[in-house]
Amino acid sequence: MDRHVFRPRIAVGGVPIHAMLVPFPIVCFTGALLTDLAYARSAEVQWTNFSQWLLLVGTVFAGLAAVFGLVDWFGAPRENRPAIGLWHMVLNLVLFVIAVFNNLVHARDGWTSVVPTGLTLSVIMVLIMIVSGHLGHRLAYRHVARDLPHDDRPDYQEPRP
Amino acid sequence: MKRPATLLATAAALLVLAACSRSAEPPTQFGFNPKLPAPKQFLLPPMGVANPVGWDNGAPKAPPGFVVQAFAKGLNSPRNVLALPNGDLIVASSGGPNMEPNLRPKSFIFQWLMNTSHGGEKGATAGENTLLLLRDANHDGVADQTVTLAQNLHSPFGLAWANGTLYVGMTDALWRFPYAPGQTALGPGSVVTELPGGPIDHHWTKSITLSPDGAKLYAGVGSNSNIVENGLEAEHDRAMIWEVDPATGAKRPFATGLRNPNGLTFYPGTATLYAVVNERDELGNNLVTDYLTSVRDGAFYGWPWSWYGSHVDIRVHPQRPDMVARAVIPDYSLSTHVAPLGLAFLKGGTFPAHYQGGAFIGEHGSWDRNVLNGYQVAFVPFVNGRPSGTPEPFLSGFATGKGTDVHGRPVGLAFGADGALYVADDAGNTVWRVSWRGNP
Repeated sequence: MDRHVFRPRIAVGGVPIHAMLVPFPIVCFTGALLTDLAYARSAEVQWTNFSQWLLLVGTVFAGLAAVFGLVDWFGAPRENRPAIGLWHMVLNLVLFVIAVFNNLVHARDGWTSVVPTGLTLSVIMVLIMIVSGHLGHRLAYRHVARDLPHDDRPDYQEPRP
Repeated sequence: MKRPATLLATAAALLVLAACSRSAEPPTQFGFNPKLPAPKQFLLPPMGVANPVGWDNGAPKAPPGFVVQAFAKGLNSPRNVLALPNGDLIVASSGGPNMEPNLRPKSFIFQWLMNTSHGGEKGATAGENTLLLLRDANHDGVADQTVTLAQNLHSPFGLAWANGTLYVGMTDALWRFPYAPGQTALGPGSVVTELPGGPIDHHWTKSITLSPDGAKLYAGVGSNSNIVENGLEAEHDRAMIWEVDPATGAKRPFATGLRNPNGLTFYPGTATLYAVVNERDELGNNLVTDYLTSVRDGAFYGWPWSWYGSHVDIRVHPQRPDMVARAVIPDYSLSTHVAPLGLAFLKGGTFPAHYQGGAFIGEHGSWDRNVLNGYQVAFVPFVNGRPSGTPEPFLSGFATGKGTDVHGRPVGLAFGADGALYVADDAGNTVWRVSWRGNP
């Protein structure tokens, strides 16, 4: 077993709590972008109401995921923290701050709760999630999974010397 | 690990900055041609929600020579007063219909904030929506009889009486009751015409008045939102003053584009209808100014597409340049967010000449502002039947001066048969009587 392996600290049955929580913001924020687009096309108020709830729930779960992610990260010995995880964390903290702002923008009344600022922030959030989610998965599959028995490694490559 | 920490700190600092938008200057936005700053959109709009602390034995202050008395205390959210020719007062004690659904996260937060302001949005609970008769038989300036004329009404607010008929503006209908002054009971009434109430019923007060000849009724119907955030279809038949035929109930829009018109009153001796109007929120401490205006038949006053004529509200989609082009500029600005809800003109009576012909305005007070504004009965002098000069505080001391603590909040007001001014104070649960004693 490799000594320098990133292992999440808080897990249930081997599944990190962080990994269980991250689908919520991914789905909610992506949904909020779709409902924002629907509102921008229709000016139908119910769509922005959907956006507001999706953003709120996404932000709450993103905050919870961040807590567990930070514990996992700082709980690991320094030499076991791959750079990819650092970038994953930085991007998601930026995402979280933008999400908080976007909640407030969406709390405005009328058209400008979405167009243009709210919709723009929702687009930026999804773009960040595509990158940070990819980094998160690389972290999981290439730095966590390599600790699994050989046959279970989905994408394992030997680390460069 | 410096970068994320710095980023977080910067973000937190930005949030705090956004929250503390610069404290508002005392308003100098009175009268004609008020200075209207550029609109701002906020992450957290400026707010200062009143915290009612009651009066104990205190009272609001009037100019020298006036006496202020608590005509009736311990009422439950008195909102409006009607003076009858025999000296009696009818008081509408009411709360909002509470039928606005919480459809957004913001609704829950606002509901919680507003509910901390008792008497602001909460008021009397359903079932306590009453009409009271207050009588001062011994003429000492304090009511000695209180009779409940009717209860379990549907959020009554507007009151008018003429020729043996009492008209009441419930939130969803205009009612008529046979009533002769002196009666201490109210017989069964009937609906003159229905008015837009639920669903939502965001601005629920239905201010009413009769034309001087008694031939027509006028009813103010406020908008169903701040700025159409409930959809334009929710505003059907709203944000306008209706003209109603009392005999048949037939009605037509008299003037439109008035976001929340209240205090409907004809200027004495004329056929000119006046109203005080609550303008839109969340564009800044000093935007948009509420106003007093004469209401012209067929005129459109801008809401929702614009304010003060051509100032376009970008929060409304689609925009309507054709409607903005039609928008009339109102007469007289009362400064921002003062929430005028009551209007009474003085004609004759006992007050000094300075006040003759002028307007007394019940300013319920601001929430959409860092610094409280309103929370007084303002006096607007009139010259040749038109507002003139700047408003003067007439009845003040509703705000304690300590943060957002207030003793009470004035709403509807009326001159009694005895020449005194009666003011409903919903958060203070009092009806105040202001009379002229003479120069000391």
